[in-house]
Amino acid sequence: MKKTEKAKAIAKKPSTGIVLGKGSRALRLSSPVMTASGTFGYGLEFSPYMKLEKLGAICVKGLSLRPREGNPPPRTVETPCGMLNAIGLQNVGVDVFIDSKLPKLRKYKTKVIANIFGETASEYAELAKRLDDAKGVHALEINISCPNVKKGGMAFGTDPKEAARVVRAVRAVTGKHVMTKLSPNVTDIRVMARAVEDAGSDSISLINTLTGMAIDINKRRPVLTTKIGGLSGPAIKPVALRMVWEAAGVVKIPVVGIGGIVTAEDAIEFLLAGASAVQVGTANFLTPNASEKVADGIAAYMKKHNIGSVRKLVGALN
Amino acid sequence: MKEAIIIENKALGADYFLISLKWALAPKVRPGQFVMLRVTGSMDPLLRRPFSVYNTDGDTVELLYKVVGKGTTILSSLNPGDDVDLLGPLGKGFSIPGGMLGKSRLLMVAGGVGIAPFYHLGRSIKDSDCDNLLIYGARTKRDTVVVKPFKDIGVKIKIATEDGSRGTKGLVTGLLESEMHCGDIVYACGPSLMLKAVAEMAEDKGVRCLVSLERAMACGIGVCLGCALRTVSHRPGRVLKDDRTYQMVCSDGPVFDSRDVDWDKI
Repeated sequence: MKKTEKAKAIAKKPSTGIVLGKGSRALRLSSPVMTASGTFGYGLEFSPYMKLEKLGAICVKGLSLRPREGNPPPRTVETPCGMLNAIGLQNVGVDVFIDSKLPKLRKYKTKVIANIFGETASEYAELAKRLDDAKGVHALEINISCPNVKKGGMAFGTDPKEAARVVRAVRAVTGKHVMTKLSPNVTDIRVMARAVEDAGSDSISLINTLTGMAIDINKRRPVLTTKIGGLSGPAIKPVALRMVWEAAGVVKIPVVGIGGIVTAEDAIEFLLAGASAVQVGTANFLTPNASEKVADGIAAYMKKHNIGSVRKLVGALN
Repeated sequence: MKEAIIIENKALGADYFLISLKWALAPKVRPGQFVMLRVTGSMDPLLRRPFSVYNTDGDTVELLYKVVGKGTTILSSLNPGDDVDLLGPLGKGFSIPGGMLGKSRLLMVAGGVGIAPFYHLGRSIKDSDCDNLLIYGARTKRDTVVVKPFKDIGVKIKIATEDGSRGTKGLVTGLLESEMHCGDIVYACGPSLMLKAVAEMAEDKGVRCLVSLERAMACGIGVCLGCALRTVSHRPGRVLKDDRTYQMVCSDGPVFDSRDVDWDKI
């Protein structure tokens, strides 16, 4: 191949790279597709099924200061086109993650986003401090939206002042990119989006699960031991898309779209609604390589429609 | 995950079906392992369904299932030539504790559709000199859908039905009282309450007992953390307040040593 032809071929290959945020805290992703926290373990579990390098980033299971055993079973129940979960943030704890999971994850050429969860703002800050030195963690995702824990969690995510307090506490102790994961269980998502932007978040990701319920009519009891759980899957996609579109309309920081994405078409809808990147969640349970297929499908769509850069899709509604 | 093509989907009566699928990964399945099946492209039902493997033969895998809900109803309506998506083989399956093969009698205890994994296990010991007995409990004669296949591979079988329409009248535990002996190794699969009763009897008699548990699962590969089972802790540092810990039925099981299961919270 002649040099000019080679250059042309490179030029024709669409660029799926995207940069979230600015300056030293910019998060450079090779693909707009990430995996959502809580649906992808610590990433390593999926390496037999797919190429982790195809992903822009992996968001690992929410980390707390100490290991958490999670809620008593039953923890999940299927619902039409979706599922409810009440796992309760079962995780190995931040120290075990840094010592035994992260070294293995570093071998893969993909960015790692540590999702953090605390019961108080100072616990969030302590987690951020410990992860700030951790080699191989490229960003922090603040989880202020988990509906399945008694303390903290969604309580921070439904009050703009509390949310801002957590973001400021984390912002003060880390130089890493800070992404804040928003709860959809609010009256106006735009208020929450602006509050965390003002508090110094580099990006926002949304939506976490919608609170929901299922009842066993024979036992006349809620199916989940926690009674209420978080709804995810294709059932929530229209709600998620609307909220991403609303949030993207009022903030300057990048928005990461989450909620019921199963196919590349779903992901492209989120990009067009204003998301700069997406996270694939429940679909990882259906098909372990779902996220890889979404990434490949976006590239194929761009090629078909002659779109040179994925950036040109972001917010590109006619 | 790999596409599997339905060769046959045979009704056995009493809502039981035996489905045969052409599947490239069939030769990799060990007895007691399971697969997660999804009707290709389905969004409702959304999740895969776990099924014990009944048998494998070359690149054919067979699953025995009972129609109980939305997923199995759809599955039962599929025809030869249709494709489904299979993830697996998954889980740890049955292990035979070191040195016990040949010395111990393999006592299999099945309740209802819980008989599924024992055909594969029975075939795997067919050529060994391992003595065996299968105690098969079902509601009625109509529910005892797979007796002959076991006899054909040399598995001895005793049946208990709740209404006495076939074999002994009563539950499997009634038969077990006289059939479980010191030196047996017990493998049990069926409803939780049956497993609890079998485990208690095994403990009383000092018999080693492995149980295969069934749970609703979302992922099947240990990441959704949905199919948590309370177990007696063997892992220091990760215990609940009362010395119990959660293990995942899909990736830590589905076969557990009965002594490890917290039967009070089953």
